[in-house]
Amino acid sequence: MSEPSAVEERPSHLQHHFVDSDQQFDSAKMGMWVFLVTEILFFGGLFVAYIVYRSWYPELFQMASVELDTFWGTVNTAVLIGSSLTVAMAIRSAQLNQIKGLMINLWITISLACVFMVIKYFEYVHKFEKGIFPGEYYAYEGIAHEKANIFFSIYYMMTGLHGIHVIIGIGLMIWLVVKARKGVFSNKYYTPVEITGLYWHLVDVIWIFLFPLLYLID
Amino acid sequence: MSDHHHISSAKFLWGVGTALFILTFLTVAVTWIQVPEPWNVVVAISIAGVKAGIVVTFFMNLYWDAKFNSILLFTGLAFFLLMIGITLLDTLFRIDPIPSF
Repeated sequence: MSEPSAVEERPSHLQHHFVDSDQQFDSAKMGMWVFLVTEILFFGGLFVAYIVYRSWYPELFQMASVELDTFWGTVNTAVLIGSSLTVAMAIRSAQLNQIKGLMINLWITISLACVFMVIKYFEYVHKFEKGIFPGEYYAYEGIAHEKANIFFSIYYMMTGLHGIHVIIGIGLMIWLVVKARKGVFSNKYYTPVEITGLYWHLVDVIWIFLFPLLYLID
Repeated sequence: MSDHHHISSAKFLWGVGTALFILTFLTVAVTWIQVPEPWNVVVAISIAGVKAGIVVTFFMNLYWDAKFNSILLFTGLAFFLLMIGITLLDTLFRIDPIPSF
């Protein structure tokens, strides 16, 4: 009769090496924060490149930034902030056990992420048509600076790496919708939603810095 | 387990989102009045810093979270600043500063 009943009470999502759901949730979250720190330092290298080259060629950055459309940059900033809001709402839905709301908010987030990528696509194509390619392929005559290609190499690296993160985020959220539809998530277990949300907010934070650094010079 | 997880109200989340939209507008509006160098950069980065702070604190829930996660973030940022600082100690003070690339 003294058989511990805890064994039977273990929910199916709880892995055997954790004491309880709380410990599992907190561990996953901490692991995600460690990963986000590596992401900050990963992008950090590019930010350092930006700072070094801007300190060497301040006038180049002002001249070249004119080629970036502030309007679409602003729209994309608003789109990403909106998507951060819907991800936060998705987590709230999961916490309240509203799985339909969770899926709706995830779909809105996926849509906003796609809008971001479509705008980014047209921005890139517009530059390619002018011959603005990165590095040695740079063939645009419109900027009277011999190092004009450097600004755009940095631009393509930073926005490109960020864009890859957005695409990965879209994939993760589609995966979340699939799992939600299978009934995996509830207010007792929504860890993947929480940590994907953390990832998505970090992608938003990085864009929050890229936007003024690239589009709003001058 | 969700008993003691912080759940933000929808109203609160919309408030945070609205604050971020307003700050985005502000950072664009500041460029319309020509702020002189280097203050335009300072203003732009400060507003971006406030926005990032709001996202990290209220969307990423660090305000209600275990403090260890905040420590992780600040440690990461400290090393990022170190990377900037040590690199600039070289690149800002070169006699023949600019390489061919």
